[in-house]
Amino acid sequence: MDGGPQPDPNTATVKVEGRSPGQLMWIRFKRDRTGVISAFVVAFFFVVAAAAPLISKLYGKNPYTVYADERPELFDSAGVPVQPNGGISSEFWFGLEPGNGYDVFTKLIYGIRTSLLISLAVTVAVVLTGILLGVTAGYLGGKTDFFIGRLIDFLLAFPSQLFFIASMPVVVSLFVSPRDETPTYVRVVALIVVQWVLGWMSLARILRGTTLALREREFIEAAKVSGASPWRIIRREILPNVVTPLLVQATYILPSFVTIEAGLSFLGVGIVEPTPDWGQMFSKASTELVLQNDITYMFFPGVSMVVFVVAFNLLGDSVRDAFDPKTAR
Amino acid sequence: MLRFLVRRILGAVVILFLLSIVTFLLFFGMPRDPALLMCGKTCNPTSLANIHHVLGLDKSIPEQYWIFLHNLILGSNQFAQGPCPAPCFGYSYHTNDPVWSTMMDRLPTTVSLTLGAAVVFLFVGLGTGMLAAWKRGTMLDKTVTAGSMVISSMQIYFLGPLALAALVYQSHIFDKPAYNDFTADPVTWFTGLIIPWVVLSTIFASQYTRMARSSMIEQLQEEHVRTARAKGMSRRYVFFRYAWRGSLIPIVTIFGIDLGSLLGGAIITEYTFGLPGLGRLAVESVQFSDLPLLLGVMLFSASMILLFNILVDATYAFIDPRVRLA
Repeated sequence: MDGGPQPDPNTATVKVEGRSPGQLMWIRFKRDRTGVISAFVVAFFFVVAAAAPLISKLYGKNPYTVYADERPELFDSAGVPVQPNGGISSEFWFGLEPGNGYDVFTKLIYGIRTSLLISLAVTVAVVLTGILLGVTAGYLGGKTDFFIGRLIDFLLAFPSQLFFIASMPVVVSLFVSPRDETPTYVRVVALIVVQWVLGWMSLARILRGTTLALREREFIEAAKVSGASPWRIIRREILPNVVTPLLVQATYILPSFVTIEAGLSFLGVGIVEPTPDWGQMFSKASTELVLQNDITYMFFPGVSMVVFVVAFNLLGDSVRDAFDPKTAR
Repeated sequence: MLRFLVRRILGAVVILFLLSIVTFLLFFGMPRDPALLMCGKTCNPTSLANIHHVLGLDKSIPEQYWIFLHNLILGSNQFAQGPCPAPCFGYSYHTNDPVWSTMMDRLPTTVSLTLGAAVVFLFVGLGTGMLAAWKRGTMLDKTVTAGSMVISSMQIYFLGPLALAALVYQSHIFDKPAYNDFTADPVTWFTGLIIPWVVLSTIFASQYTRMARSSMIEQLQEEHVRTARAKGMSRRYVFFRYAWRGSLIPIVTIFGIDLGSLLGGAIITEYTFGLPGLGRLAVESVQFSDLPLLLGVMLFSASMILLFNILVDATYAFIDPRVRLA
């Protein structure tokens, strides 16, 4: 939330001064304690994700070291850490992963990094597509609107998870031949593509509705009469007015993409070992080895994801309230 | 009403038709050749070509699609495995079983899972949501709001394994979840599904609690509710007779969407608990590049989504007399 305009520090002493809607929103947002705290929590996750290499350097480990081979004395014959609570110690803060014995702490922060990178990319792609198709449909109306509307209806009828699972190998095979090993970046790109294709519709629908309502307003008509081109009207008159629903929706969809991506990795079609990923930690956590011997392990990805999603949703609510203080809570 | 139904059903058929084309193309983009999986170790080019011929994969894609449509609508006697009455999705490449009957075998699992959970989460979710709205601003409301916020942010792939570990692997209170036929033994049917139901409905109930609460609060600020209160009707009467009905509209929409997509295969839930439902079948069909099965499950799931969309829109007219179906 650092992009918002800073309020003038002198506003308190100055008598009357016009404030832009953005400034008003920022002032309202800062008063909302829940919103500010959740913004900090969300920012914390992004900072940790961005600084994962630095953090693990300071911590002195990486998520790829197989401690089951390096330090076999830490594990029993089944591959479960010998020390209680999943091998948590001053050396391994979050313990060791049963099986291969990866370091859980670095694995988690790198996993969050992978997941957030993918979800952020999907969100950006979805927002751009949503603006493009939603605003176009709403502004042009007529046939364009009809076709975009039917396309949305069609894609909404897709069983999305099933489609994700079925199309992942297809998208991957577009980049590499099936005989070669699939590089991680291809899987990342494929995950972004499939989620993007079935992710933009709800946002586009909302933006279409907003644009449709805006189109009839006087200021748009005034711009038209004064000879503005459609492109100028969209850019200067409509886009600034759809920023509010856009920002609110974006804060709601990003965590949902995080959980979708994690779900795919959980099912084994997303990111696979040894690349660390949030969702893939869940799939490890649901193996019998973990369920039987080491429940501690599943709390690290589980609790961190709950905290992340809760914080992001609270942030979304606060952003919405800051823009539109009339909504009932 | 009739015109509405005819129009919507025709629309749904068009969507299903397009979806089958997309699935078809998707399959031919898949890197794995199903014939290679069937061919086994003693594979040579002639036997591979032979399998291709038996599966009909040597024909052109439009021709294969035409055969698929023809079989789906009219049935077929061309299969080596036996006759296949309409709706004929053919025979699975992997198991050689007819696709339609395989799906019907798996369907009871998915239906039991979904409907059992849906009954619980709808009542619990609406109940707590309405209660929170009724007691708005009290400690109870705040607890419910905070609790449902946290629980609804949990995922089945976290809560599921957690429940399994706590109830099955660590304390041995329950057996591993499994599907047993209801008609054979209702008791084992019930006990085998308890954990999946509880996990699924916990997450959904918390979402419905949030929705019901905010929808109810929004309704209570409507003008007709205020008028009713001003006329001297009791708070209770207005709450349960006036506002309640209006607050259902957004919930019915979401409920329809949820039910439709769950009935088409609750993939993650079935995967987590190892239940052999439609969702698992879908995952298997992708694993084995099993085109007939994939087409079958994809179209079935989409039909469920579309069917419930139509039902939701039809239900609106009953809840809200202002809505006219056209």
